Amino acid sequence: MGPNGAGKTTTINAIVGLATFQGGQISVFGHDVVADFRRSRQLVGLSPQDFNFDRYLSVEEILTYQGGYYGVPLSQAKQRARELLEQFELTDKRRNNYLELSGGMKRRLSLARALTHRPKLLILDEPTAGMDVELRLELWDFLKIINAGGMTIFMTSHYLEEVEMLCNRVGIVNHGRLVALEEKSKLIAHHGKDTLQEVFLELVGRRTRG
Amino acid sequence: MVNYIGLGALIRRELKRTYMVINQVVWPPVIMTLLFLFIFGLSLGSRIKTLGGVPYVEFLLPGLVMLNVISSSYDESSSSLFQQRFMNSIQELLIAPLSYVEIVVGFLTGSVLRGLVIGNLVMLIGLALVRVGPHDAFVYFYFMCVTALLFSALGMIAGLLGKTWDNLAIFTTFVITPLTYIGGVFSSISLLPPLFQHVSLANPMLYMIDGFRYSYTGVGDINLIVDAVAVTALALIALAVAFILTKRGVNLRV
Repeated sequence: MGPNGAGKTTTINAIVGLATFQGGQISVFGHDVVADFRRSRQLVGLSPQDFNFDRYLSVEEILTYQGGYYGVPLSQAKQRARELLEQFELTDKRRNNYLELSGGMKRRLSLARALTHRPKLLILDEPTAGMDVELRLELWDFLKIINAGGMTIFMTSHYLEEVEMLCNRVGIVNHGRLVALEEKSKLIAHHGKDTLQEVFLELVGRRTRG
Repeated sequence: MVNYIGLGALIRRELKRTYMVINQVVWPPVIMTLLFLFIFGLSLGSRIKTLGGVPYVEFLLPGLVMLNVISSSYDESSSSLFQQRFMNSIQELLIAPLSYVEIVVGFLTGSVLRGLVIGNLVMLIGLALVRVGPHDAFVYFYFMCVTALLFSALGMIAGLLGKTWDNLAIFTTFVITPLTYIGGVFSSISLLPPLFQHVSLANPMLYMIDGFRYSYTGVGDINLIVDAVAVTALALIALAVAFILTKRGVNLRV
């Protein structure tokens, strides 16, 4: 969590290879993201905040080509794409262009794409930004199922309710620095507060009005 | 270790993109070639007996082939890469376990293939009218491949550095097209006044068109070795720049 411009997306970009490093080091499951980028990237799946699908591909092809980029042979990538389309309720739309999908479907496709190469870590950047309540609840259900299947999920969010509902450990970034990282209930207790919102406001230096 | 499957997927993606815009890719060069051959070759060309020792239409055809190899290769890599940057879908490749070398090779392969297919298609159309085959097959493919590679690499550079679609069009309009047209597509530099002959030697297009024309007609204005060295050196420089820009992530990574 963190206010706008705190460095949440920059952190994600650094992990996945979309940012160049000026200093420091990041490892994913022990694999350096620069020196050992092939292994680290195999272990990570990303669903970015803004949709960045290939407009020349159908929904199904978006998944099979993604598998290809990660070294999955074509027959296996096709099989995996069919599984994911089924899981994310997109089978009916497999031949459509992503531009023809609703907002919720695009988000589900983005999640499915992130899972094509069976990563160990799923990174979600503001997965429910701009979604209405119904779509948000639907997506939460998908995330709970994925997490229950053993997937580690690293996500950023603006919504305290979402963090309360989904996250075990919470990190708070402010001005590019990690100012807290702890198990959710311990974080609240350590700061002597009653809610995550109070902790957040204290750490990012904002006060509630009134 | 090379991610061959990833590279193969990227090449297939590039070819699929080309296939989806096939009407923009195939018809303009076909129609332009037929028009040029008709107007300059069969109509006006009938007033010119020979040029460089061969009938004018035979002189013209290899120039038209090179014109299309150059524009097809450049258009493919520049527009594909720029479009992927513009749509952010380039991020799919940047976060995948693909090295910068594999990404460059993937884009270049799709682009070079388009240049070769269009170049040979134009040659086939020309052969139906001219009925004279290439003089030297090895030199023919060497100049066609290296030229396609050169302009694919230049297209990548433009696709990486361009900020707007206008930037890509400006390079085509003000650099590639004029240099190609005055680089010997339609006439021999030996017909120019001595001063302009010397100025023309600074035009890089001259060497690839002259070398390729030799492969077809068996005659050229410049020594074939000079042509080959010039086009190879330019291709190597353009490739090096394309690799360096991609490795540094210029306009790709923040």
